[in-house]
Amino acid sequence: MRTIFSLAIILFLAPCVEAQTQLRFVTWTSEAAKVWTQIIADFEAAHPGVKVVQEVGPSSSTEFHDLITQKLRNRDPQLDVFFMDVIWPAEFAAAGWALPLDEFFPIAEQKQFLEAPMQADRYAQRVYGVPVFVDAGMLYFRKDLLEKHGFAPPRTWPELVRQAQSILAQERDPYLTGYSAQFKQYEGLICNMMEFILGNGATLWNEQELRSTLQDTRAKEAVRFVRDQIVGAISNRGILAYQESESLALFTQGKAIFHRNWPYAWEVANDAKQSKVAGKVGVMPLPAFPGQKSVATLGGWQLAISRFSRQPQIAWQFVQFMTSAETQKRVALSTGRAPARAALYHDAEILKRYPQFDSQYQTFVRAVPRPRTPVYLPLANIMQRYFSSAIAIADSDIDGLARSAARDMDRMLELLRDRRQP
Amino acid sequence: MKRYHEPVWQFLSPSLVVVGVFSLYPIFESFRLSFYRMILTLPWLGQKFVGWRNYADLISDPVALSSFTTSALFVAVTTPIEVLLGLGMALVLNESFRGRGWLRAVVLIPWAVPTVVASQMWRFIFNDRYGVFNYLLFGDATQFYWAPLAEPGLALMSIMIADVWKTSAFAALIILAGLQGIPHELYEAVNVDGASAWQKFRHITLPLIKPALLLALLFRTIDALKVFDLVFVMTQGGPADSTNVLQFYGYKKSFAEGMIGYGSAIAVAVFLVSLLLSLLYIRLLGAGLLRKERAA
Repeated sequence: MRTIFSLAIILFLAPCVEAQTQLRFVTWTSEAAKVWTQIIADFEAAHPGVKVVQEVGPSSSTEFHDLITQKLRNRDPQLDVFFMDVIWPAEFAAAGWALPLDEFFPIAEQKQFLEAPMQADRYAQRVYGVPVFVDAGMLYFRKDLLEKHGFAPPRTWPELVRQAQSILAQERDPYLTGYSAQFKQYEGLICNMMEFILGNGATLWNEQELRSTLQDTRAKEAVRFVRDQIVGAISNRGILAYQESESLALFTQGKAIFHRNWPYAWEVANDAKQSKVAGKVGVMPLPAFPGQKSVATLGGWQLAISRFSRQPQIAWQFVQFMTSAETQKRVALSTGRAPARAALYHDAEILKRYPQFDSQYQTFVRAVPRPRTPVYLPLANIMQRYFSSAIAIADSDIDGLARSAARDMDRMLELLRDRRQP
Repeated sequence: MKRYHEPVWQFLSPSLVVVGVFSLYPIFESFRLSFYRMILTLPWLGQKFVGWRNYADLISDPVALSSFTTSALFVAVTTPIEVLLGLGMALVLNESFRGRGWLRAVVLIPWAVPTVVASQMWRFIFNDRYGVFNYLLFGDATQFYWAPLAEPGLALMSIMIADVWKTSAFAALIILAGLQGIPHELYEAVNVDGASAWQKFRHITLPLIKPALLLALLFRTIDALKVFDLVFVMTQGGPADSTNVLQFYGYKKSFAEGMIGYGSAIAVAVFLVSLLLSLLYIRLLGAGLLRKERAA
């Protein structure tokens, strides 16, 4: 009797629960959190009956990857929309975790976004994500120090090293370091090293032939330069343990002449509340090696939909809302993070508030993605090990290390060949 | 007389189910998966039975071998230090003095702090520019400042220091329990016989806390072999792979790279090594002990 009674209650209440659709959105905390909460509230207001439940994950990409893949491999239906780092689309697509968005996301609409992140979102001719933020490596420098010592911002790496050495010698500040960047053994190390290697006309891998190119002379030359001229000469050893926040802290404390970071550092470095060098900072594309072109690593975040979502339609409406021109403008204006829609780089209101976007546009357009392959993470771990071993030890055997890293990468890439001859 | 059957299985079954589901099944599953090639990001390769191939790869994988050495070094250095420090702390805490209750609580703080929080703290302590470590050693002489987490030769040592700081109290706790089990009459008796403090320690305290010492050693060895969170937060295995302990390598393979088969083989290797070490300890240190208990 009691069972029937409770069953009746459940059946009676069920429609009320059903009426409100819950959309699960897994995100991370960022400086954008406040404005995002407002935007989500606006989305809920525009879509009565839909409630967006936010789950906030760790802000480190590696840890966020653990969280998301854990949910995806368990086919968790409690996950609808999530943030995707620019290096994951190939992996998530191949594993069958991310929903292809082609039916929702027409080509004409795709063209509204910057080409570099859009390319990173494609895998095997289908598109798996919508770009939200775009990132690219930039060179920050102390305008005041360079002017004081009569230097123009450096165009090449050797020039940067010479300027740093000269300034260090004259300033005689034991706390001052020439170059602050991310050289800890983690994903950021690859972004940094890739900029040196590609900036020397070399590559990390050959996408067509599926083989590593780390053994090429120019690639090894760039690694040797970092070991001998950057880590061994103008930087403090501590750089080998730095991620973004530590390296930026050194720069904002006025203890670094040059600093490599993502666009967000501009706001932080010029905020007098957190930075001792506000107003004394310049930003420009990273240097290259003589006779080569400057290269910035592409970073950034996309929104993707889980293949196991039970409500892809509503999920897409949410993604569309979050990446609309209006939303991206709002987020850009309130956070200073670079938007992913090309048109916003010509928006008068945004340019008035953030004039640096005008000059950074070309850097975003030319930013190079890291290898797009479902085995990126295994390759990344091999490269992290190689780069860290090569630059952290003053007399490291770069030839030998490069040889074994290339061999390990080739073995991993071998697995992709199988697919071609099933 | 009517024979009374105790409902043994009925009472045991809840705990057996829990152990089965949460301990035995995962171990069995790891064993099974370690015989397959299974890469989550390459689903078209399928789940292919490869026999001992993952284990053969493991033995010939130079990275796995070096992380095994790193783990072994970590265990060999931290475990004895922790047990010795723990013994010292336990002996002090076992004496009666004013404020003992407070001190006992204070000593446990490092152990009670969540490891991730403690690791973050040590990461700041070891920061080359703002860390307390350098300031305490060199004060304002910044030209001598070290970057412990940036030097391949020092990073592992830094993690060892953090581990010793954090877990010596745990060893102390176990040993203290052992000390408190020693009947006071024994000391009174040897006092009458005129034994020195060292003789009391050597012939009464030490033999009687042997089980506690063994337990502390066993727990610390297994825990040290499985060290993960300190590495995860402080160094991510770097620099130059110098802190890439076995458990962290296995995590990277299974979770980040999605190489389920190979990752499981590493997990099984860690499991077997801890099992072997445990058996060895019990044999070496516990054998005499068990016999005596049986005789009593």
